[in-house]
Amino acid sequence: MIEFDIPPFLIYFLGAALVPLLGKGKVRRIFLVALAVFGLVCLALIRPQTGWVLPIFSGLELTLLQADRLSLIMGYIFALAGGGAIIYGISTIKEAGQYVCGLLYLGSALGAVFAGDFFTLFIFCEIMSFSSLGLIWYERTKRSINAGMRYILYHIFAGCAILAGILIHYTSSGGSITVGPIEPGIGYFLLLLGIGVNAAFIPLHTWVPDAYPKATIGGTIFLSIFTTKTGIYMLARTFSGVEAVAYMGGVMCLYGVIFAILQNDVRKLLSYHIVSQLGYMVAGVGIAGVGMGVIGLDSAGTLVEKLAFDGAIAHLFNNLLFKTTLFMCMGAVIYRTGKNNLTDMGGLARKMPVTAITCVIAALSISGVIGFNGYVSKGMVIHAAELKEMHVLALALMLGSVGTLISFIKLTYFAFFSKNEEIEAKEAPLPMLVPMCVTAFLCIVIGLYPKLLYWILPFRDAAFHYHAFEFGHTLGTVELVLMTVFLFFMLGYFVPHEKITLDFDYLYRKAGRGFIWFCENPLAHFAIGVERGVLRIAGSFVSFSRNPLRGTRMMADMIGVAVLKPFVFVYNLVIQPVYRHYERDLEEVKMRPVEEPVESMSIGTGLLLVLLFFALYLIAMLVHGWLSP
Amino acid sequence: MNRKVQKGLLVMVACAVLVISAIFAFVIHTEYSELFKGFLYGAIGVGLFVITGKILSLIQREGKQDD
Repeated sequence: MIEFDIPPFLIYFLGAALVPLLGKGKVRRIFLVALAVFGLVCLALIRPQTGWVLPIFSGLELTLLQADRLSLIMGYIFALAGGGAIIYGISTIKEAGQYVCGLLYLGSALGAVFAGDFFTLFIFCEIMSFSSLGLIWYERTKRSINAGMRYILYHIFAGCAILAGILIHYTSSGGSITVGPIEPGIGYFLLLLGIGVNAAFIPLHTWVPDAYPKATIGGTIFLSIFTTKTGIYMLARTFSGVEAVAYMGGVMCLYGVIFAILQNDVRKLLSYHIVSQLGYMVAGVGIAGVGMGVIGLDSAGTLVEKLAFDGAIAHLFNNLLFKTTLFMCMGAVIYRTGKNNLTDMGGLARKMPVTAITCVIAALSISGVIGFNGYVSKGMVIHAAELKEMHVLALALMLGSVGTLISFIKLTYFAFFSKNEEIEAKEAPLPMLVPMCVTAFLCIVIGLYPKLLYWILPFRDAAFHYHAFEFGHTLGTVELVLMTVFLFFMLGYFVPHEKITLDFDYLYRKAGRGFIWFCENPLAHFAIGVERGVLRIAGSFVSFSRNPLRGTRMMADMIGVAVLKPFVFVYNLVIQPVYRHYERDLEEVKMRPVEEPVESMSIGTGLLLVLLFFALYLIAMLVHGWLSP
Repeated sequence: MNRKVQKGLLVMVACAVLVISAIFAFVIHTEYSELFKGFLYGAIGVGLFVITGKILSLIQREGKQDD
């Protein structure tokens, strides 16, 4: 049997190098389709192995290819969805530079999931961050440039946190850099923080709904695939079995869906759903056993923990299928209509029937309707939560399903089925339709025959123990869907409107502006003061070294001035003003004529004064005892 | 939507939540609880999202989606 033992990132990096040389015509299109197919075939031929170990210096080796069941399933779905994004972009992506960014992004994501050590993983994560930035900036609008800046700030922060965590782990563990769980401490916290940014933990998630809707149409497809899923992969490798992580998943699931329901911009709605769907994966990783993500997956764990881990990875796989389809469908709608908001859409089902059908299939899949792939993987995570007696988490994930269904009824109904006679559109071009049809088809295939997915999951045996179509679960899902659809149309509450819902980024921007003001004003003044002081000290040293005698005298004088300065200050502030007052008063009195009229008093006042003096005299006599016998 | 309709809608939602809670309390104590779980979760979920939508409308601003 043929085996492929070259790190798959090299295929896409080479492709990125060749794309600018192929012009913009047919040759480039054929090359891109061939690259997408070739990459997928090569991935399918990789077997579990370790290879391509590069010694950097004594004791440090970078492992560029470490394939186990977890990295292989990640590789399959990245190559499949990435290949779809490449073909989809043929109609919309004109610039070779955008393809270079997309291919570097895809290649580095594969490099990250096949990395055998933390340093290699970090390097590929950084390449991912900067190559994906290009996909946002290629939109070339002020909004996209600003959003790109915020995006890269987030990822630089995350990169710094991850690198610091890795370095602390490297030094404290005596040089171990194998990707796996790390010991609690500052390094643990920093690594979790960095991975949390990539996995869109609340409240570190705001870069997703901020940047994704502002990228190019083709760029958004690439963006929706890699960064957050690589974050989940890293989380699975290093933080599986952490209960707090599981509950963070529940929070993400509900938070994302609540904000998704309120959105009008279709790509923003889908971006909030990325956060929500990541919640299921994060929850699954948290429910799983400690150390289940260790390379080689030889760690023991209960059946429930293995099911949770499988559920997380299965949902990642399925999510990439239906979420990519949804972004592709909405990209096609924006491409054909030029409209981003649900309030401007409607009536597109007749004009774009294939797009409408694939969008409905993806919407049913993400909502977890029976017969579609989301039903299988969501069920695995929720079932694992129930079996592990994490009932609050299971409830949050279940309610998240209801919210997902509401927002996708809203999306599909108001984009495709509501009345709008004025809208003009035609069906999306073939290169857009082919990948969305393939991914939609896979959503149905896995939904109807989930064993295809079970076969490639990390813990195959545990997955085969799960019965997706168990009567109670099936009936419950049917009821939930019916009730939600009924209430959605009966209440009529979830109609889209042109309003902005403030998220955490509002606070971050406020805080950012405050920070910039602080830097520009008090901090800058302080820096100028320090600079002047340092220059003065340096100047005095120079002067002293040129003429030490003069310098010594100057120093003595300076000490004298410093000692006497407070007295001069007091003199100037108090003594001198008082002295001047008396001086002025004296001058004024001197100027008066001697024969100036004297003020006369009345007889009564004079008598009163005489009596007063007499009384004082008597008191004085009494005190001295003259009147006493 | 005018104020009267909004008030009416709110009253309806409140009544629906009460009725659903009562049914929920009744059903979870019966042997058929498993058979109705989906309806209950659906109703509770929709109610939850309506209420959170109302609460979040307090921090919504008029205008188009932008920076």
